Amino acid sequence: MVSHHARSLAVDVPVSGTAPRRVWPRFLTSEHPFPWLAPITALILAFGVYPLLYALWLSFFKRNPITRMNVFNPTWNWGKLIGDERVWGAIGHTYLYTITALSIELCLGLAIALLLDSDRKGYGLLRALMTLPLVVPPAVTGMMFLLMLDGSFGVLSTGLVSLGLWPPQHPILASSGSALAGVLLADIWQWTPFMVLIMLAGLRALPKEPFEAAAIDGATPAQAFFRLTLPMLSRIIALAVLIRGVDLFRIYDYVKVMTDSGPGTATETLTSYAGTIYFKNADFPYASTISLFTLLLVIITSSLFIKLFKVRF
Amino acid sequence: MQETFWQRRLRDVAAVLVVGVFMFPLFWWALTSFKPTSAIFDKDGIVWFNFKPTLVNYAVTMLGKSRAELAIESGNTFGVGGASSYDSRQTIIDSLIVAIGATALTVLLAVMAAYALSRMRFRWRQAYLNWILSQRFMPPIAIIVPVVFMFHYMSLLDTRLGLILVDTLINLPIAVLLMKSFYDDVPVDVDEAAMIDGATRLQIFWRVVLPMVKGGVAATAVLCFIFSWTEFLLSLFLTNSIRTLPVKITTFVTSTGSEWGFIAALGTTAVIPSFIFILLVQKQLVRGLTLGSLKE
Repeated sequence: MVSHHARSLAVDVPVSGTAPRRVWPRFLTSEHPFPWLAPITALILAFGVYPLLYALWLSFFKRNPITRMNVFNPTWNWGKLIGDERVWGAIGHTYLYTITALSIELCLGLAIALLLDSDRKGYGLLRALMTLPLVVPPAVTGMMFLLMLDGSFGVLSTGLVSLGLWPPQHPILASSGSALAGVLLADIWQWTPFMVLIMLAGLRALPKEPFEAAAIDGATPAQAFFRLTLPMLSRIIALAVLIRGVDLFRIYDYVKVMTDSGPGTATETLTSYAGTIYFKNADFPYASTISLFTLLLVIITSSLFIKLFKVRF
Repeated sequence: MQETFWQRRLRDVAAVLVVGVFMFPLFWWALTSFKPTSAIFDKDGIVWFNFKPTLVNYAVTMLGKSRAELAIESGNTFGVGGASSYDSRQTIIDSLIVAIGATALTVLLAVMAAYALSRMRFRWRQAYLNWILSQRFMPPIAIIVPVVFMFHYMSLLDTRLGLILVDTLINLPIAVLLMKSFYDDVPVDVDEAAMIDGATRLQIFWRVVLPMVKGGVAATAVLCFIFSWTEFLLSLFLTNSIRTLPVKITTFVTSTGSEWGFIAALGTTAVIPSFIFILLVQKQLVRGLTLGSLKE
């Protein structure tokens, strides 16, 4: 932290009376950013940056399952990762999950936000109710949908069956073809309200004049939406997609609670695979490697997105 | 664009319907928590309201009664077995300590850092802000294995303090971003006026600016509380005997069957504090959530 700019601030200020005594070195006084930023920096370095470097270091060791010793072998885990079919399956599931959930949550969120964007009585309450799913612990949400989607006594699955929308012999979460959809349902229920909240904030901040002008010119509501609302919301939409996308990519809670990556590996994502390697195989170096690989994919994908859609913070 | 009478009615119906669909799982969850086991696992179909409501599920999870005690109290001794592992009182206390501790630490650190980032001009300010925000992009799983090792050496494994520290790390980026956007809304003139009066930065921060962003601090604190309260992965990896609520609830699913009544009761209890908090700071949160992205 360099002090030139901060110092100029204090120097310009006329101080009433005598100049303050300099007891402390300047960078320890509150005029300097250092004391304001030191605690947070220390915490992030100790519990964020150091573990990350440690994980990288760990990924260069090969674990011997019998002696439980880690032997230095820098290419072992990364080579294993490339050749591991489960990793590729998990990448597929992760992207499928992220992209599906993101598109559904975004469209649904925007539609519901438009629906609830009204000043009439009662809409405030509806908007408040809409935020409630957000604060349910994801693990609890997982349990909730596990109960509701249960093949024999779940209210949703029996409802679908009795409506003839789902064959009774294939429980949703226990069939490899539909398990991911079941997990997605929990995610969509929980996080569509997040999109609604952000879109509502965006809609409420829009200027009124362009819409009035458009109405005078005889624009239809659809034209107003696609020509005015959508372009003006584009920045906040991009930001919401980025934040939500990064979270979706590291999906763990729902998968762990609802299907535990199963049936077989039908819902295994990168994070849940790393968890399995950690808990079941106790292969810590390989678990670290998979986690770092996940981080790498997050960075690459989100940078691409930021470049492509010119997201600014 | 004025809506006609029927358009308005249509919007009302659709809005209520959509919100109703989203409320249904919560309603079903709360309903299940009052059901006796026989009504949850009914062979003849789904039981809606034709059951005798019971508080057994809450008595077991919240009061630590074993099923044996309850059965004896009600004069029924059929099929009783000890079930004290469903007692969740300690879990709730632990979860509260972790969530409140992490919230306090996060807010303290974020309020300080965001003030400097909003008010002071120094080189690398933007780069430093980006560095903090970039922590948000890191999947917790990427650091969890080394953190387990570190905590093992530091005797922080399976402690509330350890969990507080890691939860704080995860919450910091969003807290700093939120607080900075609240500070940015306070005009710099306020600081300058106080500075001319000879106040130090610390005095300005404590006496002038902080009181002006009280609402923002509350919103940030609520968000941090909810994040820690609902956190699952870190607690799963880092604790064993000290369990936070989301992890505890998953232990009710056993190979011999799931105790859905207990799960629903604990799950219902788990969402109540967050519901209250989020409704209290709704306004600030909606404003803060745009994260300044609407300002040009």
